[in-house]
Amino acid sequence: MSNTKTLKTSAVPLHANNKALLIDIDELCVRYGNELVLDAVTFCIHRGEFIGLIGSNGAGKTTLLKTVLGLLKPTSGTISRQQATIGYVPQRGASYSGAVPISVLEVVKLGANGATGAAKAALARAGMEQYAHKRFTELSGGQQQRVSIAKALAGNADVLILDEPATGIDERSQVEFYNLLQSLQAQGVTIIMVSHEVDTVLKLVTRVICLNRSILYDGPPEHFEADKYLPKAFARQHVQLHHHHEEPHA
Amino acid sequence: MPEILQYSFMVRAIVAGLLVAITVPVLGSFLVARRYSLISDSLAHVSLAGVGAGLLLGFSPVIVAVPVTVVGALVLEWLRQSRRISGEISLAILMSSGLAVAVVLANLARGASTDFSGYLFGSIATTSTGDVLVIASTAAVVLAAVVLNYRSLLHIAFDEDSARIAGRRVTLLNYLLTGLTAAMVVLSLRIVGGLLISALLVMPVVAASQLATSFARTMVLAVVFAIVAVVGGLVIAFYAGVAAGGAIVLSALALLIAAMIWKR
Repeated sequence: MSNTKTLKTSAVPLHANNKALLIDIDELCVRYGNELVLDAVTFCIHRGEFIGLIGSNGAGKTTLLKTVLGLLKPTSGTISRQQATIGYVPQRGASYSGAVPISVLEVVKLGANGATGAAKAALARAGMEQYAHKRFTELSGGQQQRVSIAKALAGNADVLILDEPATGIDERSQVEFYNLLQSLQAQGVTIIMVSHEVDTVLKLVTRVICLNRSILYDGPPEHFEADKYLPKAFARQHVQLHHHHEEPHA
Repeated sequence: MPEILQYSFMVRAIVAGLLVAITVPVLGSFLVARRYSLISDSLAHVSLAGVGAGLLLGFSPVIVAVPVTVVGALVLEWLRQSRRISGEISLAILMSSGLAVAVVLANLARGASTDFSGYLFGSIATTSTGDVLVIASTAAVVLAAVVLNYRSLLHIAFDEDSARIAGRRVTLLNYLLTGLTAAMVVLSLRIVGGLLISALLVMPVVAASQLATSFARTMVLAVVFAIVAVVGGLVIAFYAGVAAGGAIVLSALALLIAAMIWKR
C-alpha cells in the first residue's frame, strides 16, 4: 500500500508551509458509472497538519478518503505518497459489531500485526489500557473510537484518516475524543478528519478543505467564510442553512 | 470398556466426528463473525449435487462432490467480491439450485435413493477407515491454513477495508476460507448430512459467543461445544437408536439454549 513514488512538482496550496510533504493528490477524478463524484481534486498533505474535510452527504468526502487509502481506484489523476504509514478510523459501527465477540486487545493487535506489547502501549496512549480485556461492543461509542485510534497508533501510523469519527457519540465523549486528537497532533501525527460538525472542525483543525465534487475552499479555518462556502457545499441538498453547524438530513 | 466402544464402526464414527467437531467451528468462527454463516448451507446443497452426480456416474460420491463444491464456493466468492449479486441472494440461488440438481441426478441414478438419503441426513455409522483418513488429512490442512493465516483471517472477518489498507491478501484469503469451508462441508456430509451441516458450523460458535469475551476464546469454546455435541449425539444415537445427524444437531441446539440461559 505505501508506495513511494517520486513526488511531482504540484500547485502550491494556499496554506503552503515548510513542513514535509506526505501525500500529493493531483487532478483526482472518480466516476461511479455516469456520475462524476470527484472532479479534478488537487491538494497536498504536509506532516503535522490537522485537516478538516467538510461537505454535504454525497459531496465525495468518503470517496476521497477511500481513494487516498487505496480502496478505490481513481478514474484519472494521481496520488503520490511519501513513506508514511496511514491508520484508518472508519465510521463508528462499521466494524467489529458482528455476532462473534472480539476483545479490545484483539482489535488493537490487528493494527500491531499481533504484537501484544505494541498493542498495550497504544492502548495506554489512547487512555484505554484498563479496557483491554473487555468485549469491544461493550464499550461506549467514544471509547470504541479511542480504541480504533489505538489500533491505528499500534501500527505506528504517522497519518490518521478519520471518517465521521464522532457521529453518534455523546458530547462529553466527543470533547475527550477531540482532545486526544489534538494531543496526537501535538506529538507530530498528521490527521485528516471528515466531519459534519463544522463548528467543531473550525475550532480544532489547522486547515479546512470544503468539498462538493471539487474543492470549494482550502485554507486556514480563520479565513473560512461559512456564509460564502457552506451554501455552495450543501447546495445539492436544497436545505436552508440558518447556522453553519446545522447538519442537513439528506 | 463401554459398549459403544466395542464396535469398530462406532469408534470410527467417533474419531471422524471429533475431527469434524474440531475443524468445522474453527472455520465457523470466521464465517459467523463476517455474517456469512449461511454459506455452509449453500455449499452443502451444492455438494449434494456432486453426490448425485457421483451416484449417477458410478464414482465415489465424495470424490465427485469435493471438486463440484469447491468450484461452487469459488464462484460464490467471485460473485460476492465482484458485487454482481449481493451475498445473500447468491447464497439463496446456489442453495436451491444445488438441491434441485441433486434431487434430479439422484432420481436418474436408479436404486441410489438410500445412498442419497445418507448424505442428506448423515450416515456416520457407515464411515470407513478410508473416510477417516481423508477427513483427518483435510482437517490437518484446514487447521494449518488457519494457524498460518490467523491474524489476516481475523482482520478480514472484522474489518475488511482496514485489512486491505494494511496490505493483507484479502481476495486470496477470502477464496481460501471459502474453499476450505467447501472441503469440510463435503467431508462432513457423512457425519451430520447436507441438510444439517450448517448447525455444526454455526450453533457451537453462537453458543460460545454468549460466554466468551474474545475471538480466540470463542473459537476454543466453540470447539469444546462441538465435541460435546458430536460425542453426546453419537452416544444418544447409539443407545436410543435414532439418527446420529439429528442427535448431534439437537445436542448442539441444547448447548446453545443452555449458553443463552446461562448468559441471562
